[in-house]
Amino acid sequence: MKPLRSPNHNARARTASAIAVAMCTAVALAGCASAAKSTSPAGASSAFKPAKQDTSAKTTVWTDSTRLPQVQQYQKEHPEAKLNIVTYDGGADGSTYLQSKIQLFDRTGNGWPDVVFGSPTDVTWASQPTNPSAVPFAAPLDDNLVPKTTLDNFAKGSLSPCQYNGHTYCVRNDIAQVVLWYNKTLLDKWGYQVPSTWPEYQTLGEKIAKEHPGYLVGAVGDTNSQESYFWSSQCPAFQLTDPTTLRVNLQDPHCTRAASLLDSLISAKAVSTQGFFSQGFTKGSAGKVAMAYGPSWYGQYLFNAAFKVPAGQITAAPPLTWPGDSSPATGNVGGGLWMVSSHSSNLKAATDLVTWLTTSDSNQGSAPTYPAYVPAAKTWLANPTNSKYFATDISPAFEQAANEVWTGWSNTKFSDATAWSSIVLPGLTAGKSLTSLLPSWQKAISDEAKANGYTVTNQ
Amino acid sequence: MTLVAMDSATNAVPSRPSRRGAKPRWEGGIASYLFVAGYTVLLAAFGIFPTGYALYLAFTNDRGQFVGFNQFSKVAGDYRFLPAFENIAVYLALWLVMLVVMTVLTAVALRSWVRPGLSSLLRFLYYLPGALAGVASVLVWLFMLDPSVSPAGPLLRAIGQDSFAATLNPSHLPVILFLIAFWTGAGGWIVVMYGALNNISEDVLEAARMDGAGRWKTAWHIQIPMIRKWITYMSILAFAAGTQLFVEPQLLQTASLGRVSPTWSPNQLAYVYAFQQGDFNGAAAISIFLLVLGLVCAGVLVARSDLFKLEEQ
Amino acid sequence: MALFALFFVLPVIWLLLAPSKTADQVVHDWPLSFGSFSQIGHAWSHLISFQNHALLTWMRNSAIYSGGSLVLTLATSVPAGYALALTRFRGRTTLLVVTLISMIMPSATLVLPIFLEMNQFHLIGTIWSVILPFSFYPFGVYLVYIYFATSLPREIIAAARIDGCSEWQVFTRIALPLARPVVGLVAFFSFVGNWNNFFLPYLVLPNSDQFPVQVGLNQLLSSTPSFNPVAGAGLNITIPELALAIIVAILPVLVLFLFSQRSLVSGMLAGATKG
Repeated sequence: MKPLRSPNHNARARTASAIAVAMCTAVALAGCASAAKSTSPAGASSAFKPAKQDTSAKTTVWTDSTRLPQVQQYQKEHPEAKLNIVTYDGGADGSTYLQSKIQLFDRTGNGWPDVVFGSPTDVTWASQPTNPSAVPFAAPLDDNLVPKTTLDNFAKGSLSPCQYNGHTYCVRNDIAQVVLWYNKTLLDKWGYQVPSTWPEYQTLGEKIAKEHPGYLVGAVGDTNSQESYFWSSQCPAFQLTDPTTLRVNLQDPHCTRAASLLDSLISAKAVSTQGFFSQGFTKGSAGKVAMAYGPSWYGQYLFNAAFKVPAGQITAAPPLTWPGDSSPATGNVGGGLWMVSSHSSNLKAATDLVTWLTTSDSNQGSAPTYPAYVPAAKTWLANPTNSKYFATDISPAFEQAANEVWTGWSNTKFSDATAWSSIVLPGLTAGKSLTSLLPSWQKAISDEAKANGYTVTNQ
Repeated sequence: MTLVAMDSATNAVPSRPSRRGAKPRWEGGIASYLFVAGYTVLLAAFGIFPTGYALYLAFTNDRGQFVGFNQFSKVAGDYRFLPAFENIAVYLALWLVMLVVMTVLTAVALRSWVRPGLSSLLRFLYYLPGALAGVASVLVWLFMLDPSVSPAGPLLRAIGQDSFAATLNPSHLPVILFLIAFWTGAGGWIVVMYGALNNISEDVLEAARMDGAGRWKTAWHIQIPMIRKWITYMSILAFAAGTQLFVEPQLLQTASLGRVSPTWSPNQLAYVYAFQQGDFNGAAAISIFLLVLGLVCAGVLVARSDLFKLEEQ
Repeated sequence: MALFALFFVLPVIWLLLAPSKTADQVVHDWPLSFGSFSQIGHAWSHLISFQNHALLTWMRNSAIYSGGSLVLTLATSVPAGYALALTRFRGRTTLLVVTLISMIMPSATLVLPIFLEMNQFHLIGTIWSVILPFSFYPFGVYLVYIYFATSLPREIIAAARIDGCSEWQVFTRIALPLARPVVGLVAFFSFVGNWNNFFLPYLVLPNSDQFPVQVGLNQLLSSTPSFNPVAGAGLNITIPELALAIIVAILPVLVLFLFSQRSLVSGMLAGATKG
């Protein structure tokens, strides 16, 4: 049975190639409308118009699994509140789940949750319309929803990721100010001083690597290590000079000093290029971490939960300083926030919930992470469950660092982790130096920024 | 002209002449329409309409204005566009070549070299991982690729991959995705190929043996040509699945804590366009690129093989 | 050949053993060692307590989505494949060509338009937003079509018609009984494909109570401290729990696989052998 090829077939192939040619020409000649996505007219933020209110409406809450017990606690303390609790990934690690869903709800015109837990990156899109006919998802909380006195009590700068165009679109749940973690038992045994400046840190790191091979003073292989080191060093990697212009200059001395310091510690084998949170790390080096420069949640989550270091060994010191810097600065690694939907038909209930979640002592006093709301943070520090694990009092270090978070590392529409993780980390793993990776990191950030509609300056 | 597919590839007996003789009456009248009605509704709702809508989106902007091919040139100029298509091309080349070579060789070997009992056991073992498709396969391989928990840890270390991060180096991704796809997909095809080989009549093989053909010769000249249609068929389906890669790199991206680019495959890029940049029109344009690519390649394979015979009525 | 078998089997064995160990043992012990049965129990109770039996809910959802669309797929694709193969009507060739094209269409192309369409009919968040698109299964139609085109001689149909059978009777009395192998085949592919589908339910279902198990697995993954240090910390979901969840999630498909190998092959090859 020999197949007969239909003459139509060749004809079809010819048509296809003709279309392809036509397409190419058309692209060249097209004088049609622009393909660019329309941008919302800057500054023309129309006044917030709440949806029709219904004080008996159910409140839908989207939370991550870590904060789920807190929402359940609210329900327990407020039996009259009608909550519909939904868990999702909480925007961790640059997840775009929430954003995807809101985009879709904006198109369908319904389905929005009333209250969501999110990451700072989420506010950048939630405070602006996702398409010309949409309303920004997040409600301006300073607009007759949360009293100014309450907003003023959040830690200095902690609400800056929430602010856009003069309004506050979220309240911060927790902050993750970077401090110097160290194993007091080890350092005491070896007779070392806790460093207070970066050069001291470097010297001590090299000394530990030489005298106690295998012991580490840090790791740069996590998705957020850049926030611990480069943010603290005031490196202009993600600096918005105005809402649409991003400054990315990794050749700035503030960046190169951190890179070369880390490079020398990496080559001395005092800093690991693996991540603290990778499987391999827990297996090999978990018990050999003498120091770690990282966020306030390292204490419980890293040393206690992941490394299982016994209680009474670990403690925190205030952020390290660079010689010649006038003001001390530190980084911030994560820290979630709560937003209220502008589409909510029960803004009062939604606002009550986020206020309770972020500011109440009964919730924040025993929260798993350090509260952004200053009075709650005091209660948190005073709570023995939060401090009994540590060798010494961590309050001074935490409180000092909370006020020193550098504000020049801006909250952008794209996660600051993507370029670091997909360009720098594989390079480090392959044995390249951080200094040599800075240009490609800068290019990756710039490309991503342009794709997200920013004007980029590398000066 | 009608399409009659996959006629007796493995059947050495020539087909009955009756079918090509006098035109049989096989009209169905109104009933035919009723038979296809349900499917046609689904096809219209979930095949044709969405495609039309995607085309509409690809040729307009978010204000509904016609933009000609500007969306296409815009996404093609994106810095992530070429790398994504390169990634998928490398992966597809590896996946298709290895799939064809390995499944056919294994099937031939199982058919001719291995005792029937053992062969059936082996086939079952190859086939089993197919149950772990999708998310499950990626999760399993996340552990297989992590030297600290993997049973193949020593092997990974021996080839210089001494940490999970090192194994998940972006340049390894085509190989990793190939391993995952091969692990879940190849077994089923081996079983099918084996079945097809089994259907080759003993007489033909006997005749070949009488002519003094060895096993290799028989395999190369008799067995493999006779299952050619199955090979083409497998290639088309594997190709179609390969261009649609989304879950696997997406999960690897999550699990590798971002070492893998979030726009590794074109589908992921389309996803980012739609849901991160809010640019549904650009996303549609990328999808149309993929669609055209898939259609052209499948068209070439179909046209060059006897898979879909074109009969003059 | 043996090495090849090892490649296929080793991950499965590892997966089956992992839940019997603690997270520490998984990392420190020999990868293929067995822990203890009681540890499986611990892992199970951790897993079950994750978000109030979420895993069981997800399994139930998967069963509803896959089962519901399976029924619809069979009800639409078998008659359609039959009519395409053995009857002639206007638009037949077009329908066939369109079916072939749909088979190789990138699925992600269509997810967004499908979402908007669903929304028009107010189906978002209902089970229909998953079941209906799942039911559209051109590959199934194509399999049935091949099967009938190659294994059911048209003369039989013609003879039945001459004997006065109505079209419906021809279909139910002659074609359907002969179609059992291919129905099984379509059912298998449709069920397995839908059970494992991720992208569509990931997008159209807003509520985590509605997730099928594959999307749920993704959520579990992002709750494992080793893969999500920030959000996952403090949870009991570690490697053994995750491995157990994978096993549970694929169990129905695995059972199908265990019992379907033979009929699968005969079904796949039916078109070729009976031609």
